[in-house]
Formats: sequence, structure tokens, C-alpha cells
Amino acid sequence: MIEVEHLTRRFRELVAVEDLSFRVEKGEVVGFLGPNGAGKSTTMRILTGFLPATSGTVKVAGFDVFDEPLEVKRRIGYLPENPPVYPDLTPLEYLRFCAGLKGLPRRAVAGEIERVAGLARLDGVMDRLTGSLSKGYRQRVGLAQALLGDPEVLILDEPTVGLDPLQIREVRELVKSLAGRHTVVLSTHILPEVAMTCQKVLVVNKGRLVDFDTLDGLIRKHLPGRTVTLEDIAFLEEIYSKLVEGPAAAAAALAGLGAAPGTAPEVAP
Amino acid sequence: MRAALAVARKELTAAFTTPVAWAVLMVIAFFAAQFFNGALDAFRFLTLRAMQLQNPGLLERLSLTERVVAPLFGSMGLLLVIVAPFLSMRLFAEEKRARTFELLLTAPVRPWQIVLGKYLAGMATMAAALLLVALFPLLLSFYATGTQGGAGVEWQTVGTGLLGLLLLGAMAMAVGMFVSALTESVIVAALVSLLFLLSLYVVTLFTIGMEGPVRELVLALSASDHLTSFLTGRIELKDVVYYLSFVVLGLWLTDRALEGARWA
Ligand SMILES: Nc1ncnc2c1ncn2[C@@H]1O[C@H](COP(=O)(O)OP(=O)(O)OP(=O)(O)O)[C@@H](O)[C@H]1O
Ligand SMILES: [Mg+2]
Repeated sequence: MIEVEHLTRRFRELVAVEDLSFRVEKGEVVGFLGPNGAGKSTTMRILTGFLPATSGTVKVAGFDVFDEPLEVKRRIGYLPENPPVYPDLTPLEYLRFCAGLKGLPRRAVAGEIERVAGLARLDGVMDRLTGSLSKGYRQRVGLAQALLGDPEVLILDEPTVGLDPLQIREVRELVKSLAGRHTVVLSTHILPEVAMTCQKVLVVNKGRLVDFDTLDGLIRKHLPGRTVTLEDIAFLEEIYSKLVEGPAAAAAALAGLGAAPGTAPEVAP
Repeated sequence: MRAALAVARKELTAAFTTPVAWAVLMVIAFFAAQFFNGALDAFRFLTLRAMQLQNPGLLERLSLTERVVAPLFGSMGLLLVIVAPFLSMRLFAEEKRARTFELLLTAPVRPWQIVLGKYLAGMATMAAALLLVALFPLLLSFYATGTQGGAGVEWQTVGTGLLGLLLLGAMAMAVGMFVSALTESVIVAALVSLLFLLSLYVVTLFTIGMEGPVRELVLALSASDHLTSFLTGRIELKDVVYYLSFVVLGLWLTDRALEGARWA
């Protein structure tokens, strides 16, 4: 469904994404992991046609993002890193606007808005100005927008940021329920989330792909001989720090010396 | 087209939820009333003088349209140029600042549809401002009668005057929208387009004492000089072409800027 080949994106001299290649099959839910600044959001912006790639190709449902952007955009629901909501509109006005932008059939608009508002639990705030809503609600409005029109592919950049624990659980359930019919790529810094919702994990560091495999595959590869259950999610942290910071740091983390991702000194791969 | 209308509608909802559009309309109404009163006083004074001079020929030639409506419209031209940047400043700069730009550019629409929608919304507000201005000649027509007993206001001249103002407003909106597409700062967008439009409008000041081809060139560039025929009841092709070329260029450049913004 999504084919990325040798994708590179530079911002002047800074290389944000470097020679990234991966494929996501139809119906898969893929978790996109990596430290801050790894290039997750940049990759998602390229997938959705917001940013052009410096080189490399991206295809969604067989259409090249650069050559046939409209065909690709029609099939993608996108939740950017910052929820793209307007403070001067109510969620209802906003979703109507998005429905118009996406060109949903007029007769279906009201029903579709009701559906996504239900999924994102927006009842009770539909007529308030978005600017006066809490951060979590703004995030939910953004999520509702991505779901509008039931697109085949969902690209969600940190969808659970700012949500309360119950809502986070609901979003996870939602994502799980999308699996199969929809292809989902979601980025997150919450590892348990990945263990619970995703079939595959894509780890990037400094713009490069470090690993892309199923959860089972990762466990076999990086923790050979260990048996872990998905409830015990500490293993994922262990794999993550191995991939992102190198084996030394992983050992340190294991020894409890506190090498939390992002705070530890960077080790060259 | 549906997407363009959706954009226009959203833009108008936002514009009239925030005080900006209302403030602009109030400023227009306030100054139009001031200029109108001023021009009316001047006209009253002139008719008194003509009566004192016992010159019926002069009295007959004094035209309300020429003495009141045309000066009012002339001042409104300057005012439009000053307020238009405040109507256009948010169009794209605000989307970029608030990161909603990403929503627009990942929607399955071509950039020109977004440009068109934004422009339509801007022009709707502009048209509302001109309707306010048009109220004054209408008011005048209720009280004035012509010397031969006909209408006291020459509607044709009022019409061409309003058309001229609309074209000027269309030019200002297109220029302002393009500038807004170049920056993330609403204030910068407003100031840069104000500076540009105002320079084009008052450039005629430099022609005082000038002669020859330079003067012709400056006049040809001036946004205010192209308004004068409209104010005297004439529609000239070169004036229409002048304003419309700014509109077309502004829309086209905005479309290009949207494409280019992503490459930064
Ligand atoms: N418009 C831009 N101009 C210049 N540099 C940019 C731009 N956008 C991103 N970058 C740089 O590209 C790199 C990757 O950024 P990106 O936002 O993709 O990271 P990320 O993986 O999403 O990080 P986070 O986990 O913090 O969201 C960073 O170093 C960032 O500074
Ligand atoms: Mg990010």
C-alpha cells in the first residue's frame, strides 16, 4: 500500500531523512519509532504530499506522491504533529469545512461528521469555539478530521499526545479496529502503545532506518532465546535503546544506570 | 470549485468571528460619512456663492455627482488601499503560523482552488465595504433633484465609480494575498502590502513638475491615476487592464508561492 524507496530529504545542509526504504502492506498497522529529530514527522509529511522529497520515490496505492498527488491525497487521512485546527471555528464548522475540502458527497456529510465525532468522542463540544477547547480536545478534533471520509490509509503523527489515559486507551482500540481494512502508520514515543496496537515496528535514527520488522521478529533478532509476553512491555524499551543508542547504552539501561532515550549522550552508530 | 467554496466559506466565518473584518467595515463607514459630510458642506458653500453672484448658468452646472460623489469616491480609493492589507494579511500567513497550512496542502485539492477560495472570501468582504460606500449616493438621491427636475444623482457615474473602486480593491486584495503567502507573520504581511500599495497609489505626487516620458511612465504605474476616468463616468480599457493585470499576476504568483513554500 505504501512503498518508500531511497527516500532522502535535506533541509539545506541538514539531512533529515536519508535513504529510507520500506513497504507497508494493505491492512497493516505500523508503529514509527525514533528519538526526537529522527525524521519521523518529515517522512510523514513527504508521504502525505506536504513536503517534496529531495530524492527517492514514494508510492501510495500505486500512485506516485509527486506525479499524482491528488490520487494519493484522496486516499490518505492525515493527522499532523500539531493538530491543524482553527481557533475561530467550532468543531462542527471545522469538520464541515474539511468535508468540503475532501470533496465528500454533500448528502453524506452530516452522517459522516456524526460518525467521526462519535469515534473521537467530541459530543458536547461540537458548538464551542475550538480556540477555547483544551489541548486534548483539539487533538481529538484533529483526529476526527483525519478519519473523515473513511480513507484507506491513515497517517497519524503522535495521535495520543495530550489525551487523558482513558482517551488514549480508546484511541488504541480505535486504531486496532482500523487494522485490516485500513493501513495505518502512526508515530509515537510511547512504547507500550506500539506493543499494543501495531503489528510492525519501524525504527529510525538520525534519518536512517535502523530496523523494520514485526514485534516477534524484533524479539527473535534482538533478544534471542528470551520469551516475552506482550503484557510485559519492558522488552520493547530494551530493543529500542539497543537500536537507537547502540549496545553499550542498552547494557547501561539494563543495568539501571538510567539511559532514558533522549537524555543519554549520543553514541555514533 | 466545491473546495474553493468551502475555503471561502471557512474564511468568511473566521473573518467575521474575529473583530478584524468588522473593524475594517466600521473604519470604512466612519470615514465615508466624514468625507461625505465634508463634500456636502463644500457643495452647499459653492451653491451659496453662485447664488450671491447671481449666476444661474454656474448654478445649473454645479453637479452633485461631480462635486460630492466623485470626491467621496476619490477619498475612498485611498482608504481602500489602506484597509485592504488588513483584510488580506491573515489569508495565508495565519495558516502558516497556526500550522493549518499542512491541512490545506494535504487535502485532495489543487493549490489554485485554495487561492481562489481565499480570494473570493477577501473580495466578498471588499464588496461589503463598497456597499457601505454606495449607501451615501443612495442617501443623496432621496433628497436631491436635478436642475431640470430629473434625478439629482447621475447613476451612471456612480456606477462607474463603484466599478473603479471594486477594481482597485481587487488589485489590493490580490497583492495583499500574495504577500501574505510569502510570510508566517501577519504583521509583516500587512505592512509590506501596505507599503507597496500606498507607494503605487501616491506615486503621482512625484509627477508634480515633471515632464515628458518619465511623467507618462509614472502616471501609467499609478494606482490612483487609473481611477480618475471611472470617477468621471468613463470606463477606459487601459484602466481596466491595469487593475486586472495586478489581479491575474497576484493570483498566479500566490499559486506559485504555495508550491514554492514547500521547497523551503
Ligand atoms: N522545515 C524545516 N526546516 C529545517 N529543518 C527541519 C524542518 N523540518 C524538520 N527539520 C529538521 O529535520 C529533522 C527531523 O525532524 P522531524 O520533525 O522529522 O523529527 P521527528 O522524528 O518527528 O522528531 P519528534 O520526535 O521530536 O517529533 C530535525 O533535525 C529538524 O530540526
Ligand atoms: Mg515529529
